[in-house]
This record gives sequence, structure tokens and C-alpha cells, in this order.
Amino acid sequence: MASVSFNKVEKAFGSTKVIHGLSFDIRDGEFMVLVGPSGCGKSTLLRMLAGLEEITAGTIAIDGRTVNDVDSKDRDIAMVFQSYALYPHMSVRDNMGFSLRLRRADKREIETRVARAAQILNLEPYLDRYPRELSGGQRQRVAMGRAIVRDPKVFLFDEPLSNLDAKLRVQMRSEIKALHQRLRTTTVYVTHDQIEAMTMADRIVVMHDGVIEQIGTPLELYDRPENLFVAQFIGSPAMNVVRGTLRRANGNAHVITPDGIRWPLGASSAADGQPVTYGVRPDHLELVAGSENGVPGEIVVVEPTGSETELVVKVGDAQLTAEARGRASVKPGDRVMFAIDPANVHLFDQASGARLPS
Amino acid sequence: MKRFVTEAKLLLIGIPVAIWTLLPIYHLFLFSISSKDEAFAGKLWPDHPTLRNFGIVFREQHYFLNHFWRQFGNSLVIAVAVGAITLGIAATAAFSISRLKARGGRAVLNCALFTYFIPAAFLAVPMYKAMSAYALLNTRWALILAMVTIASPYAIWVLKQASDKLPFELDEAARIDGASPLQLFRLVFLPLMAPSLVAVGTYALLLAWNEYLYAFLLLSRDEDITLPVALGHFLSADDSPWELLMTTGLIYALPPAAIYYAFKRYMVAGLTSGAVKS
Repeated sequence: MASVSFNKVEKAFGSTKVIHGLSFDIRDGEFMVLVGPSGCGKSTLLRMLAGLEEITAGTIAIDGRTVNDVDSKDRDIAMVFQSYALYPHMSVRDNMGFSLRLRRADKREIETRVARAAQILNLEPYLDRYPRELSGGQRQRVAMGRAIVRDPKVFLFDEPLSNLDAKLRVQMRSEIKALHQRLRTTTVYVTHDQIEAMTMADRIVVMHDGVIEQIGTPLELYDRPENLFVAQFIGSPAMNVVRGTLRRANGNAHVITPDGIRWPLGASSAADGQPVTYGVRPDHLELVAGSENGVPGEIVVVEPTGSETELVVKVGDAQLTAEARGRASVKPGDRVMFAIDPANVHLFDQASGARLPS
Repeated sequence: MKRFVTEAKLLLIGIPVAIWTLLPIYHLFLFSISSKDEAFAGKLWPDHPTLRNFGIVFREQHYFLNHFWRQFGNSLVIAVAVGAITLGIAATAAFSISRLKARGGRAVLNCALFTYFIPAAFLAVPMYKAMSAYALLNTRWALILAMVTIASPYAIWVLKQASDKLPFELDEAARIDGASPLQLFRLVFLPLMAPSLVAVGTYALLLAWNEYLYAFLLLSRDEDITLPVALGHFLSADDSPWELLMTTGLIYALPPAAIYYAFKRYMVAGLTSGAVKS
């Protein structure tokens, strides 16, 4: 087990800079997820930690030891690839024992460790099969087994679930999480899927265009996104945002959009007349019967999922998503009112996208 | 019905092609089982088929066949050596260019391709001079080195292309697992390249086995020459022993056929299936 720290890490491919001086720490035993849209540099960052990419500037340290010039094999890490990268000419047993064999470990020792990993991952019946004889989920487990056998300081996962179908992905998600809870090995997990990030992570690093947008626990990111990017990236369905101007009148503040809708607001430090982006999550748009303190809308689409109902509504010029618990008794075309608790409103500066303190 | 028509068409093409290909071989065979008198009788099957010719060849009972086994051995040693050395060169070159991304790999490949603009025959005289300068003439090494030179560019090119198709994540996984480049080469690259290696090795081996021009130029003593050159000597007499020439030719054609059947099963694709999700 080990901590990992990134200090002003930069990466450039030729003259193109893809990672712009990132600094953050991963604690011992932590499950850290790097998440962001494709091309944000998350995989590059992971590959730099793995020693598969040169570090252009800055330092990466594992357990306090700077590893910039340390070979992959001497960093004591194990990596699970998106494509599994199993050796096709070796049986599951040999795939899992390969790293130990390279280290010239004792045959009996290899045997025991492979057996233990196989038991953890329910791979015992498949030890003598070849990768081509396994299903996608089983191959994924072998790839994880190969990592476990090593008993490394840090586990690296590079989008390990992208190649699996939806059902298996959910299953493997909890398997990986359970594995981490059992082994407590420091883990760095890269994904573009914010749901994976939310459900698995102890903490999440949200990346965008080679910079860190925010670091925090899943619920911190959900409840207090530091900027508009995080606000819209985390959470599904995505946060509703409208652009308007902040208005103050006798101690009360609200945001008014060009279409004349007044959006309720609590206390805000923003100045009167400041252009802002007003954000509210779909589950905080509450369907009410004729309230004074709400925004009027028209139902466009009703999407029941059983446990809840997703509503696409038109409010002024904006199209928003609302999420109602249980069944909703509305139909397309209905004119309705939505109440918004000012405590659940997120306000961002329109120019910078940064969160405005309330 | 449609299928029948397609098959009929294929047969119409296939049968003439088969006859066209097999006729000379049949002729070869026919000569080898005929006595000298009967060989030119123009019959489809000799009246008194005999294996006497084979006996003469195997027992070296003819002026032209005095060194048959020696020459057969020369051919064999040279062909196997050319196959092995070419494989060694091409596999390591392909590995460093394709997997280790060695600097200048691209240039090496372009040079390899460029050599094919120059016909091998043009290089015969320069090669002779080079071998003479290194005092290698009339040694097996002369022909081995010459044939390796000719076979390598193509072998490198083919192996590089095949190697590019191996998923790169395998190398990365192996590196993280702790493999040095040499271990990567031995434990991951070579096993996965086996089908291509067999194909390329066979190519180089047969190229050397069948070579006449260079063998004729670089080797001259009867004890040193390879069998194709020895076969050529048969024609230097006014009264060539055709039936023995054909018999020796037939024997000479057998090892390549055997090699083909032995290695056929290795030349199958799909060995890498299951490595990565495609």
C-alpha cells in the first residue's frame, strides 16, 4: 500500500501540451477516480504514473519516492487495461503468474498466489483455459487477477469496463469496489463515465482539457460543484442551466432570464445586474400545484422509468429536465408550476464559470 | 442449381490449371521410372517401369552423380542456415522497428523495400567480388551470406507488417509485469509471431534451396556445389543422361513438399484471438 503524489506534472506531445501542471495527492488505500470527457488527459496521466509515458515536467512520487526515472517494472504497480491485454498464448494460470515468473519467484509460491487470486475472483474453474475460450467478463477478471497476484503498491485501471455490456458493467463495478474494500490497495481508476466515478470512488478528480476542474468526494462534487463544467459533468440527468441577470429588490434576490422568467434565489453575494448562470438539478425541480413562488412550465415529454418519472419541460425559452419520484399524473401539453428551493440553487459567474458563493 | 453452375465453372477453370501444373511433374516422374531407351518413346506410361534410376542416384553410380549425397547435404545445410539466419535477422529487426520503435526504423524499412528495385542478378558480380575480397569463395558461407542478403529485406518487411498487427497493450502489460525487452521478445513476441515466422523461415529456406545463379557463381568445386548446380552439369555432356537428371530432380523436389506439409498447420491465422477485445 502506498500514497501517490503528483507535483506540477506536465505532458507535451511535441509542441502540443496535453497536461498543464497538475498537482494532487492520493492517500494510502484510497480509491481515486480520474474522470473527464475523452481527450482530457486522464489516461495520459495514468500512463505517466504507470511509466508508459515520459513525464515532460514535474514529478510523480509513489510512497514518497520520485519515480520519474524509474522503469515501469520497478514501480511496483499493476495495471488493468481497457482491452484486457491478456497473453493469448498462455493459459489463465500462466497469464496470472507471468509477472512472478519474470521475477523468478519460487514455483510453489507462484502456485499459491495464483490460486488465492483465482479464488478471490471465482476463476478457479478456468485456470487451464486460454483467453480466447473466455467471455468478456471472465477475461476482465483474469486481467484483474494478473494485477492482484502481484500484490502491488498501486492498482491502475484504465477504463476497464468500457468493453463490457451494460449489465456486466454494473456487476463488475461492484466486484471491483468489493475487491478494493477487501484488499485496501491504493487504486487509481480512469473512466469517462461519471456514474462509474460516482459509485466507485472515495474521491474523484474531474479533469477537462488537461487541467483539474475539481477534486472531492462524489457527494461534494454533486452538492457543491466548483464550476459550471463540474456541475454539468457530474450527475445524471445533467444539471439544468439557464443564463440570466441577477436582480436585487428589497433584500430578496432572483435571477431573471431574457424571456422574463424570474428564478428564485436565496442570499447571494453577487452584485445587482451581474450576468450569471443559474443551475438546478432535475431532482430539485419540484412539481407543485399552483404555487406563487415557482416557475411556470409546459410538459413536453413524460418518460416513466418505474421508480421515478423524468419530465422534459419548457420553461420560457429553456428546455429543462425534471425528475419526479414515483409516478407523475401529468401528460404532454399540461401547464404546470415548479417550486425551486433556493438552497438547492447553484450560481455561477457567466464569464468564468466559477461558482458564486451564496 | 446456381451452386451447381458456380461449381461447374470453377471445375472448368480448375481442371485445365491442374493439368497445366501437373503435366511437367508427371513428365518428371515418368522419366524417373523409365529406362534410358524408353524415356523418349513418348508413352503415357512406360512398358517396363523401373526404380533402377533411383538406385543409381542413391548409390552415386554415375559420373555426374559422384558427389550426390555430398551435394544434397550442401543444399540442405545451406538452405537451413539461410532460413535460420534470415529468421533471426528479420525477427529481431521487426521487433525493434515495430515494437521498440527504434530510431531510424522507418529508414531501414524503406531501404529494405528499395533493394527490390535492383534485380538479384545485377548484384551477382558485385557479390562475387565481395565474397572474393573476404576469401569466402567456394565456401558454404559465401552462398549462405548471399542468400541471407537477398531474403532478409522481404522477410523484415513481412514480419514488420505482421508484428504491427499484434496489440500494443500486450507489450505494455508485459513491461508492467516486469519483462525486459529481451524477455518481451522471447516470451511474448516470438510465440505470437509463430505463424509468420514459420512462413518467412520457409520462404527463405526454399529460396536458398532453389537458388541456381548464385550457387553457380560462388561455388565451383564439385564437392562444394549444391544440387541445382550439379543438375546443370548434366547438360554439359553431348549425351545427357536425362532419366537420371529427372530422377535427381524429382528427389530434389521432395524436401520442399515435405516442409510444406509439415509446417502447413502452423501457418494458420487466429493464434492471437482472445488477447484483446477487438
